[in-house]
Parts: sequence; C-alpha cells; structure tokens
Amino acid sequence: MKILAVDDDPIILELLVQFVDALGAHELMTASSGGAAVDLLGKPGVGPFDCFMLDIQMPGMDGIELTRRIRDTARYADTPILMLTAMSDKRYIDAAFAAGATDYVTKPFEVSELKARIGLVEGLVQARKSRTKKIFAAKSVSGQSNAIELHEPISIYDVDNVIEYTAMENYVAQLSRSALFGSTTFAFTIREIEAFHDAMSPFEFYSLVSDVSEVISDTLEGHQFLMSYAGNGTFVCITESGWRPDMTALMDAANLSLSRTELFDNDGQRVHPRVSAGDAVRLIWKTGNSVMDALAEAHSSAEAASAAHTRSLTDFWYTADQRA
Amino acid sequence: MKDMVAELPGLDRIRKRFIEMLGERQAQIANHGLAAWDGVTLEDINGNLAAAQAILHQIAGSAGSLGFHELGQAARACEAEILEHLDGPDADLAICPGEMIFHLDSFVAQCRTEIENNS
Repeated sequence: MKILAVDDDPIILELLVQFVDALGAHELMTASSGGAAVDLLGKPGVGPFDCFMLDIQMPGMDGIELTRRIRDTARYADTPILMLTAMSDKRYIDAAFAAGATDYVTKPFEVSELKARIGLVEGLVQARKSRTKKIFAAKSVSGQSNAIELHEPISIYDVDNVIEYTAMENYVAQLSRSALFGSTTFAFTIREIEAFHDAMSPFEFYSLVSDVSEVISDTLEGHQFLMSYAGNGTFVCITESGWRPDMTALMDAANLSLSRTELFDNDGQRVHPRVSAGDAVRLIWKTGNSVMDALAEAHSSAEAASAAHTRSLTDFWYTADQRA
Repeated sequence: MKDMVAELPGLDRIRKRFIEMLGERQAQIANHGLAAWDGVTLEDINGNLAAAQAILHQIAGSAGSLGFHELGQAARACEAEILEHLDGPDADLAICPGEMIFHLDSFVAQCRTEIENNS
C-alpha cells in the first residue's frame, strides 16, 4: 500500500516511518500539516494513495477538515482514512467519523494494535480494488456495468453523519464503557427493498438508497448520531448522547418527508419508498461481541418490521364462511 | 502498555531525538505557564494555556510509545487539567488556577530529570 501520514509531531512521523519500514511491503510518505498534505495531493506524479493516517489535533487545518478535503476528491472518496488520536481527542472522534474517517488508533501506539489496524485497512484496500464500487460516484448514468447485491453495504457520499459500514463497525467496537452507557442503536429498513432492487438499475438503486439516507439524516437532525447503510435496504444508526429515540415518531417523520420528496427513476416515473423502523436497543452494560449483537438486533428488528408491514398488505382475516 | 521499544528495532535514534526535543518543549511549556500565570487579560492567560496544552498533547502522544510511560501519563494529566479549565465555567474569566501551574511546574521538573537520565 502507498500510505500518506500527516502529523505535526515529527516524532510521530519518525515512529510511523520506522514502523512501516519494519512491516515491509508498504510505502510511506509524510506531511507535517494539513496544508502540506493538500499540496502534496495536488502534485502531479504523487500518489495515488491507498490509505491515509491523519492526526486529529493539528494547528491550522486539523485532521477532521483534512478528512473532508480528502473525501471531496473523487479519487479518494472511499480510500481508508485511519485517524491518529490521543485519548483526550474522544470529543473529536464523532466529528472525524462523520467527516469520513474509517477507523482510529489511539496514541501512544502499541505495535500490535497498529499492525492489526493496518492489516484491516489492507484487507479493505484489496477488497475495494477487486470490486471498484466507487464507479457510481464518478460514472455516467448509462454506465450500468457493476451490479449491486441486495445485501451489500454501499458507501453513501455527501450525506451528513452517514459513514461507511466498516467505519461504523470500527467506531462501535472502540466505544468505551462510559460511552456505551448513553448509547442506543436503531435502524430503518426501506420497505419492499427487493422489488426496488429487482426493478432498478444499479445506479437507480444507489440513488434511491442515497436519497432515503438523506431523508433519514435530515429527520434525525438536531440529535447526535452516526448512520450507515448496512445492505438489504437497512440503515443502522447509533447515538451516544443519551437520547432515547421514539422509533414510531421517527418512522412517521421520515415517511412524511419521503412522501414530500419527489424521487424518480431513470424513466421519469415517480418512486415512493417508505421505511419501517425497528427497536431502539440500548448498549448499556454491553461489551465486546454483545455490542455488535446489539447492532445486529437493531438491524434485524427493522427488517422484521418491514417484512411485517409488507405482509399486512396482503394478509386478510377471513370469516369462517369465506374460508369454507 | 507495551511500548514500541520492546518490539521495534532501531528506535534509539528516535528516543534520542525525543529527548533533544523534550529540552525545547519543556522550556516552551515553562514559558507559556509563566506567561499564563503573569497574564492579566483572558486572551493572555487562555492563549498561553492553550499553547502549553498543544505541546503537552504532543509529548503525551509519543512518550509512551518510546518507553517514557510516566512522562506520557503526566503530560496527559496536565493536558486534561488545562482542557478542563478551558472548557469549564471559569473559561471566560481571567483566572489562571495556581494548582494547574504547580502541576505544570512539576511536569517541567520531571522532563528535566528524564533529560538528565537519558543524555
């Protein structure tokens, strides 16, 4: 991998050079500020980079702003960004994920942790190289070559607080016990997503998912949250703020907003997506795998609610005479 | 916490550089701490405290990885104390808590000991 590390502390940069050198098989470039990194990215012949490692707290342009700048570049719209952060940066971590960070490593580094994180990123890079799913961010509407599997998490761009599913898993996995105390996870599923998926081109399907995510994000505005598209028409959300969401009210608000939003397919036909909401699952007292299980619980309860809604459209109560 | 020194070869040069920089950094922290203590305006006090915090943040971020665990933890504690003050109810008052300056002074002394022990 070709990696760009950005940190205002020369000691950290030297440590990373030493570390990457010891790992082998990777190439590391360094920049001592956000501005220097932006200059480097704009230079012809430099890059492309497969991964970024960014310090959060830097004078001038901080790592969060730099993440935004990188994400605004089509080439790096979904390139893994690993944030380098001190414990006291916790308050910035939400903002970093919301800006597009994939994962974070806390300083001071431990070799094993850094190695594990780089390994995960490397896996992500390899998987992406084989899929090249970013086509939808840059290619024309007519380029329909890449199919999207229904169950596949899709990267959504430019929607507030929406992050990649991998980033969501990394974020949740590293939540501290105190953060879990006030955290709740919940999910929404687009009803009859299979029908949309079957009838639509990949681009139309991507656009539908992206538009619905924007409506949900707008509906949740005013609350602290992060959200991710997990596949199967389901958006998984997490809030750490202590807010206990009223899922029925949120679902109604999202559907009201969807009804007021004019969405069209490529033939100019209006589409009418609606969402179902699952249970709000609190993360208090959960640790390790049970946190991930809670995410899965929120996810599956939203899908179950969607399936129940679909069934309710066709299930009828027959009288005894009718049944006969 | 394991440090990189035990697991990565060739870090002596970086440790040496860290100690060299620690000499400059502890002097900067002392100057900012003194300027904050002597400061009259809110801008003077909070500006110097924020400058000291930024340097402490750097030390806290790398000291542990190089085997200077206690120094890293002390830097982190001082940083947290400054941040708490700058985010707290007294942040808009031209006040520089004496206890904070005492802790900064102790940290500077700790830096000097590390420099002496590793030079």
